[in-house]
Amino acid sequence: METIQTLAVLPDMPVKAGEVVMRITGLYKSFGDNHVLSDFNLGLLAGENVVVLGKSGSGKSVLIKCIIGLLQPDGGTIEVFGKNIPDLGHLELDQVRMKVGFLFQSNALYDSMTVRENLEFPLRRHSIRLPQEEVNELVRHALDDVGLVHTVDRMPAELSGGMRKRIALARTLILRPSIILYDEPTTGLDPITAKEIIGLMIEIQEKYGSSSLIISHDMNCVRMASDRVVMLINGSCYAEGTYDELKQSADPEIKKFFE
Amino acid sequence: MTRQFVSNSKLGVFVIAGMLFLILLLYMIGKNENMFGNTFRLRAQFGNVQGLTAGNNVRYAGIQVGTVKKVNILNDTLIEVVMLIETKMKQYIRKNAVVSIGTDGLMGNRVLNISPSVKPAPLVETNDILPVKKTAEMDEMLQTLARTNEDVAVIATQLKNTVNRINNSAAVWDILNDKSLPQHFRASLLNVRSATAKTVRLVSDLQLLVSNVKEGKGSLGAIISDSALALGLQEAISRISRVGEDADSLAQVISTLAGNIQYDIENGRGPARAILKDSVLAENLQLSIQNLQKGTEGFNAIMEALKHNFLFRGYFRKLEKQKEKDKQPARGQ
Amino acid sequence: MMVNTQNWKQWLEEAGEMSRFTGRFFSQWFRPRYEVTEFFRQCFIVGYRSLPLVGLTGFIMGLVLTLQLRPSLIDYGVESQLPAMVGIAIVREVGPVITALIFAGKIGSSIGAELGSMKVTEQIDAMEVSGTNPFKYLVVTRVLATTLMLPVLVMLGDAISLYGSYLGVNIRGVTSFDLFWTQVFDNLSFGDVVPAFVKSFFFGFAVGMVGCFKGYHSHKGTEGVGRSANSAVVLSSILIFIIDLVAVQVTDILGLN
Repeated sequence: METIQTLAVLPDMPVKAGEVVMRITGLYKSFGDNHVLSDFNLGLLAGENVVVLGKSGSGKSVLIKCIIGLLQPDGGTIEVFGKNIPDLGHLELDQVRMKVGFLFQSNALYDSMTVRENLEFPLRRHSIRLPQEEVNELVRHALDDVGLVHTVDRMPAELSGGMRKRIALARTLILRPSIILYDEPTTGLDPITAKEIIGLMIEIQEKYGSSSLIISHDMNCVRMASDRVVMLINGSCYAEGTYDELKQSADPEIKKFFE
Repeated sequence: MTRQFVSNSKLGVFVIAGMLFLILLLYMIGKNENMFGNTFRLRAQFGNVQGLTAGNNVRYAGIQVGTVKKVNILNDTLIEVVMLIETKMKQYIRKNAVVSIGTDGLMGNRVLNISPSVKPAPLVETNDILPVKKTAEMDEMLQTLARTNEDVAVIATQLKNTVNRINNSAAVWDILNDKSLPQHFRASLLNVRSATAKTVRLVSDLQLLVSNVKEGKGSLGAIISDSALALGLQEAISRISRVGEDADSLAQVISTLAGNIQYDIENGRGPARAILKDSVLAENLQLSIQNLQKGTEGFNAIMEALKHNFLFRGYFRKLEKQKEKDKQPARGQ
Repeated sequence: MMVNTQNWKQWLEEAGEMSRFTGRFFSQWFRPRYEVTEFFRQCFIVGYRSLPLVGLTGFIMGLVLTLQLRPSLIDYGVESQLPAMVGIAIVREVGPVITALIFAGKIGSSIGAELGSMKVTEQIDAMEVSGTNPFKYLVVTRVLATTLMLPVLVMLGDAISLYGSYLGVNIRGVTSFDLFWTQVFDNLSFGDVVPAFVKSFFFGFAVGMVGCFKGYHSHKGTEGVGRSANSAVVLSSILIFIIDLVAVQVTDILGLN
């Protein structure tokens, strides 16, 4: 495993020591004439929370969908645990996906299943043969982490937006991922609930020592959750730094976000 | 997991019920088409199968006993029908049973009827060829009907044409309206009267002849007394007198008719109408004229025969001479 | 993009996508992994749950067809042929087509809406992330379920229709069930049942395929979901008639009539 010092794309940046769990180099992705990502570079260290900040439609969601293999990039590499995602076959990709959690913007809870079935789904689908008691214990534990053990037999439609987000988080957590990708985790939530969710995210990150890549345009989220912020403008990395560093920047493009 | 089990069992019931109905459907059809059970083959050969096809029913004395298996063309005039018959019918169908093609109802499917014959015969064996009977075929019946219809149509057309022609033809109406018609009738009447008069004279001549013969006058009077000849003569005479009577009645009819026509004309009614109206009269007239004609013909024939008979040749010659003599003083007057 | 292109081009594009989608189904359905549990669940939903609706419409259809045909048959003096005629009509055409249309309305729209909403709420992506091939899990199971369940529904619908017809015959006349039954079956042949049964597989396939395609390619937003459901019903209904037309021609060519 390479260390942070060898990464050319991350010059003079104050970073935590640790392994590089994910490295994105020269990523290109376009839809027709619309160049969403062009020469995007990013590194993620173990235990680090990185927020990718950008306007709506700047290609943030495209970025993490490329990371999880839902979209095929036009060029560049996405190395997760040393494996280049675009080159992986189905089986290998599934192996990587077990270690990478994904919290969808719209939660993506299965409407036709109960909360329990929703949480069991990734366990069963990844061909993990576990006895029922162990599955139950994992479900209970994941729900306990988000504080919603009592909703285990309810349907997603019966829950509030904040609860759904937490259930979705619990479903992401049930496989104990090393990397969690958050797609706009606070969108559509009231500020108080959003704060609760962010708090939960930090709590979990500390508890499991996982790394997080958070896509957001919510400055509260950025301020609270980020160890490091990457600004995505025009498809590439415009600026990098801590929240405070960026806040003090004189660049007019960066300033827009803090007004 | 309980919920899953219940839904699975319901699904099972659902699918099995659907499949059972399908199997039942196919089985019933198969049974109807004799796919199951024991059957044997029989054959029959027709000149025309009238649209019979594989799958049509075969009936023995009206009972469903099998189906047509296939219809083969043997040659340009002979078609063989192979049927599958239930094996249990082997003990009933005999070799002389007659096969015919019929129709199920008026417009229904073709059926093959096997009719038992009253005469004794051994039972059929597999692949026997049964005798066939040609039946009244609906098509043929319809064709005959069509021909009849055409004929009727032709007749009707002709009738219509005739009526039209009569209606349109001035000539016919002229004839019918012709005022000279009564005169013609009268002339006819006179002719008939003179004919009658002639007949009467002939009869008297004949009677004279007969009496002369009876009295033995003439060279061969004895021979003539022969009874057979006398009988023939008698018949001739009676026939002649009948002619006379006919002529009389005819004369009467004609005079009535003439009178009627006269009356009609006088009363301003068309004679044609009277004739057309009085069909009985017309018929009588016709009949009388025919009778007269026949009678006269018969009489003439007899007279001719007598003239040529060598026995009377001399007598007739004498008679003619005398007539010549009688006529001369009359002309002289 | 779609708004500005001409209609026919859009239509051709959709036809092409649809063909590719269908091709994807054929290249995937027989390969592991087999989503057996989900398949049975879909069979239950698609088949068993549709039975009441199909049964009701089938019953009414049989009854109405009988009552409607009776006056005409009386005019021709062949009233006794009523069971035979209704039987053939139901088994050959009315049963499969009416059932398929009802099925398209109920199942086609629900598949379109379900997959559409799964698409727009990223549930399909979530499945893929959770180590599931969503195409197999969602599309293959549903298409197989509709393909296999519709013939079963058609058979049961036929049976219920015939029962409705039996009652219809007995409203004005008296016919024993045995006689009705015999008359219906005496006039049916394999050529009536088998093509009708076979074509109902195609109807089911079309309904499932169109529903899944429309849902899977749903546009963002709740309006997109509604449009998916709606166009799934419209397209699958049209396809049912087209398949029916083709089926008639094919059975005719094969000489199965």
